[in-house]
Amino acid sequence: MAIIDFIGVNKWFGKLHVLNDINLSIDEGEVVVVIGPSGSGKSTLIRCINRLETIDQGELIVDGQHVESPRTNIRRLRQEVGMVFQQFNLYPHKTVLENITLAPTRVKKVPRAQADKAAQQLLERVDIGAKSDVYPGKLSGGQQQRVAIARALAMEPKILLFDEPTSALDPEMIQEVLEVMKGLARTRITMVVVTHEMGFAREVADRVIFMDSGRIVEVGTPEHFFQDPKEDRTKLFLSKIL
Amino acid sequence: MRWSVLVDNFDLLLQGLLITIQVSALGLLLALAIGVVVAVLRVTPNRLARLVGASYVEFVRNVPLLVLIFFIYTGLPDVGIRFSELVTGVLGLGIYTGAFVAEVLRSGIQGIPRGQLEAALASGLSYLQAMRLVILPQAIRNTIPPLGNQTINLIKNSSLVSTISLLDILGTANLISSRTFAYAPVLLGAAALYLSLTIPAAFMVNGLERRMRAAYR
Repeated sequence: MAIIDFIGVNKWFGKLHVLNDINLSIDEGEVVVVIGPSGSGKSTLIRCINRLETIDQGELIVDGQHVESPRTNIRRLRQEVGMVFQQFNLYPHKTVLENITLAPTRVKKVPRAQADKAAQQLLERVDIGAKSDVYPGKLSGGQQQRVAIARALAMEPKILLFDEPTSALDPEMIQEVLEVMKGLARTRITMVVVTHEMGFAREVADRVIFMDSGRIVEVGTPEHFFQDPKEDRTKLFLSKIL
Repeated sequence: MRWSVLVDNFDLLLQGLLITIQVSALGLLLALAIGVVVAVLRVTPNRLARLVGASYVEFVRNVPLLVLIFFIYTGLPDVGIRFSELVTGVLGLGIYTGAFVAEVLRSGIQGIPRGQLEAALASGLSYLQAMRLVILPQAIRNTIPPLGNQTINLIKNSSLVSTISLLDILGTANLISSRTFAYAPVLLGAAALYLSLTIPAAFMVNGLERRMRAAYR
C-alpha cells in the first residue's frame, strides 16, 4: 500500500528542470535511499513530500492526501511527516527538551508533563538522555543530529524524511547518527533518506533510487545496485563514490 | 550662572523627569508592538501584507516626528478624535519609532537561517507560531544593540512632546527658564536629566546583550 506516490511530477527552478517526470511509489514501512550527484534533484524530491517545495505539474499523494492541492490541510499532513535536515536546524534559543516538546505541545496540545516524559524517553532512545537541559550550542554535531531525530519522532509521524543527515558531520560522528537511523529502520517506519552513505544503503535500504539531472535513472534493491547496475550513468556514479 | 534655580525647582524637574519616563516607556511598548507586527508583515509570503508593511515603514519613517505629533494633536480633532497630551505623545513616539523597530527586526528575521523556519513548519507549526516561537525570539536576541539605539533615540525624541505643552523634562525646563531667565543652568540641568536616562539605558542594553550571548553557548 503506497504511502507516498509521485505521479508524473515536474518542477522547475526558473529554467532548470529540477524534477523531470518523476514517477515513484513508496510503500508503508519501506526504507528508500535516494542517491545521486549534487544538483540531481534528490533533496528537492523529498522536500516536496511535506511541501517545503511545491510541485509545478503532476500529482503527489502522501498518506492519502494530494500535497499539491491548495485544499489539503498541510499542517495536518506535516504532523505525519517528520524531517531531519543536513544542518540539524535545532532551535538555538531552546533547550534540548524544549526543542523536542515544542511541536507536540503547540500543535497536538499534548500536556506539558506528558510531552516532557515522552521527550525524555526519546532522548534515551537516541542515547543522549543526560543532555535534556542544555542548549544545542553546547552539543557536538552528532549529538545535535540525534536530538533532531528525536524531535522529528516526537510527533509520532508515519514517515521520516532525512535530507543528507550526515553530510555536515565530522567523520567520527557519522556512525553514531547512522546507528540511530538503522535502529529506526528496523521499526518499519517509512523512511526516505537522501545520503551518500553507501554502507547505510546497503545495510538497511529496501530500495535504492539513483537520480541525475532531475530524473530517476534507476531503481532497485541494494544488491542490484552494488553488484549489477544497468545504466551507464549509475555505473559511473558508483565507480566514483565506492 | 545661577545654579540655585535647579535646587529651587527640584520638585518640578523631578515631575518632568517622571513624565518623560512615562511617555518614553509607553511609547517604547507601543513601538515594539508595532515593530513586531510590521516586521512580520514585511517578511510574510503574502504580497499584500508585505505592501502594507512596506508602506507603513516608508510613510512613517520619512515624515518628521513633529509633524506626526501635531497631526495627532491638532489635525485629528478635526475629525472628532481627541487625545490628551500624554496619549498624543505616546502615540506619536510609538508610531514613529515603530517604523524603525520594524526595519531592525526585519533585518534580524532575515538573518535567521532559512532552516529554522523550515524545521518549524515541517513539524506542523503554523507560520505565525513559527514566527512567534522560533524566529522572533532569535531575531530580537540578535538585534538588541540596534533596538537599544532606537530606545535611546525615542527617549531623546520624547522632548518634542514639550511642543504640545506636556510638562516633560524639556517642557518643565522651558517653563522654569521663562520664569527665571536662567536659561543656561536650566537647560544644562535638563540635559543632565536626559543623560540620567540614556546612559543607564545604554549600559542596560550592553549588559542584556552580553547575558543573551552567554546564555545559549
